[in-house]
Amino acid sequence: MNQHSPSHDAIVVTGLGCLGAYGIGGDALAAALLRGEALGAPVDRRAGYHRRNSSTTVATVAASAPDFVPWLSEDAGRRMSDLSQFAVVAARMALQHAGLAADGQLTGDRERTAVTIATAFGPGGFTEQLALQVLQKGGRFASPFLFTDCVANAAAGQIAIAVGARGPNNTICQREAGPLLALHQAVEDLRRGRADVCLCGAVDEMKPLSHAILDRFRAVARPHAEPGDDGELPRPFDLRRRGYRAGEGAAVLVLEREATARARGATILARVGPTVRAHDHSAGRMGTGQQPEALAEHLRERLGDRLDRVDLVVSGASGARAADAYEAALLHAALPHHPWIVAPKAVTGEFGGGTLAAALLALGGAGIAAPRACDRPDPALGVTLHDPQRDGPLRATCAMLTAHAAGGASAITLLERP
Amino acid sequence: MRDAVLVTGLGAVSSLGPDAGALWQRALRGERGAAALDLFDPARHRTDLAAQVTASDWPAPFRRMARADRFGCTATAEATAGIDPALLRTRRCGVFFGSSTGALFEGERFLQQLLQQHEGDLHTIVGLQNDGPGNAVAHAFGVGGPVMTFSTACTSANVAIGAALDALQSGEVDVALAGGADELCEITYAGFNSLRAIDKAPTRPFRRDRQGLLLGEGSGVLLLETAAHAAARGAAAIAELVSAGRSCDAQHVSAPDPTGAGAAAAIRTALREAGLAADDVTFVNAHGTGTPHNDTAEAAALRVVFGERTARLPVTSTKSMVGHLLGAAGGVEAVLTALSIRDRLLPPTAGEQPADPELGLDVVLHGARALPEHNVGLSTNLAFGGNNAVILLRSLR
Repeated sequence: MNQHSPSHDAIVVTGLGCLGAYGIGGDALAAALLRGEALGAPVDRRAGYHRRNSSTTVATVAASAPDFVPWLSEDAGRRMSDLSQFAVVAARMALQHAGLAADGQLTGDRERTAVTIATAFGPGGFTEQLALQVLQKGGRFASPFLFTDCVANAAAGQIAIAVGARGPNNTICQREAGPLLALHQAVEDLRRGRADVCLCGAVDEMKPLSHAILDRFRAVARPHAEPGDDGELPRPFDLRRRGYRAGEGAAVLVLEREATARARGATILARVGPTVRAHDHSAGRMGTGQQPEALAEHLRERLGDRLDRVDLVVSGASGARAADAYEAALLHAALPHHPWIVAPKAVTGEFGGGTLAAALLALGGAGIAAPRACDRPDPALGVTLHDPQRDGPLRATCAMLTAHAAGGASAITLLERP
Repeated sequence: MRDAVLVTGLGAVSSLGPDAGALWQRALRGERGAAALDLFDPARHRTDLAAQVTASDWPAPFRRMARADRFGCTATAEATAGIDPALLRTRRCGVFFGSSTGALFEGERFLQQLLQQHEGDLHTIVGLQNDGPGNAVAHAFGVGGPVMTFSTACTSANVAIGAALDALQSGEVDVALAGGADELCEITYAGFNSLRAIDKAPTRPFRRDRQGLLLGEGSGVLLLETAAHAAARGAAAIAELVSAGRSCDAQHVSAPDPTGAGAAAAIRTALREAGLAADDVTFVNAHGTGTPHNDTAEAAALRVVFGERTARLPVTSTKSMVGHLLGAAGGVEAVLTALSIRDRLLPPTAGEQPADPELGLDVVLHGARALPEHNVGLSTNLAFGGNNAVILLRSLR
């Protein structure tokens, strides 16, 4: 086959790099998922952006005291936003895992390597610093350094520069649905012969200003606890859920056509199935849709009996009251055979690609404990998360990943064990 | 064989007017939208010129939206004026939008409120994230299919239009609303000034004395349909969207590759996917920002692809009139490219000076240029992050 020709080859994952509040790498994430405890640290409130009764906890990368140096020199890192640092570290890790890197650089064809990254907020920290310079001192005090790395696509651009990827370079901003939409875009570019390798994933940083704004929109769980209850814990599908825990981090996958991967003897971690994209316009601009059954019907139309093969749902449920109810209704309508369900955001928090990385680990056989904070399933939702002690270990062959963004955009992707 | 993808509607909001008609007529005359800005206090900045949208008579449903959302929805309303709204309210219609600022101007005001009063009006920042304009369009028009926002700085809208083309060609949707919307704000204005990238005088793309860009705002939206869908409803088409191409310089976060190799790769990808040769291209609506580095790199890219013919290939920079709309630039330029194909006229690059001979380009100056009967138009955008994205449109066959 001409390498530039469209292909019907399956697209597979051959590498994973990730970091978050759990630390650096797939092993660190797997260990956190096995513990089942929500990750978090006190949010920095010194800037005064937070209300008095606001959320106090955030799942930051810094909480895990990560060492980036094996992946990114201090000299290079200090020229980047946190967002770009996270992205470059995860991308280099993913390439290394896939056997496609030497000294942090691509060993494959640079012109044929694409990058597709999703970010909900972009480099919020640099943008805030720049905004403060401009608003408090005047436009003449703006830093060119901050400006050039405060565009949303800075992270994808920095990945390209760091590893030498000169193929298509995409940045997708669709809030919670971004990571799966990025996966769709990467598959499209590979299928259409625009690239042979795609670094694809999600990255976000969660600075105090972003956190305070999410809190004001009542997206994150607040400490209005009942006696003896930590109200801030993220509790997907639980009776006591009050919102998600905002998080940060990065997850980058290496995607290739299966024939290419097999030809070079790569280890195939998963096969990427179709992504179904839709919008529920009954959602408010910041809200959740009202028509999950219609989305289920659409899923059935697009995926047919492939839905029947789904034996694991890696849910994007995060502890949000309305969004988890929407997700539960969707799962009941689309998957009447009740596959196992896991909700990694109970551990990693919302944003930063944790769910994407967790799905890959789960397909590979990693254990995911029932989140400790989710021990009272909401009977109105009727969703019980997989508990390895009760249900035995996960042995999934076909995982369905779900993501519903505030505002109504949804993306649902199938990932299969090779 | 894939069904062709047709442009069946256009909409634009820019400093040249609140619709595509005003934009087109004024662009053909080479009129500039540059003026002293009053959206915020220019005295706080190094320069005071911008291509600000000054229209004030907005459709009622969009009046309370953030500026970028309002621009995007108004342009979409114009683009979709000829289609049954029910055809948008299905899973078979998608929104593919580009934006690099979202509602950042409103975000700045919110941050000021927060700093001064510890409270801010949340309603003003529902579109703060870059997906704001695309979401606003999806909600306003009840779209049920894919909704996807690309934020690749100045190439955002071209990337979005390319994604819409993919969705239409794959059969996922029959109809797509594709383009972009962005608004002026102090952060980007100050940021480009910090790079000394804004010209204190009206911008002079492709001129020897060019000194920078003119920042603008607005939106450009294409209504795209498969040929079968357009035929079924008896829609008249304006042009065919043939292909898109993307690449990355992977060299510098803000400066383009001076050899033009990355941009040339994007153009070649678009030609390859279209099944066209470089000689088939009849004109270029260039990125043409007017910064010394951009115009040099872009000219180099065109010479790499078009060789000796570059000197005879008509090139224009419509940014000389509407300014640089950042994430929306590709949207407005796609509208202008489609209109060039429809009317067989290429607007001039505004300004009186001759073109820089060192660039080796046939820059359209001093009035619109007549185009041949059948055209293939190339619209290019280059961006921070070394991002390059182009689209190709052609005359109806």
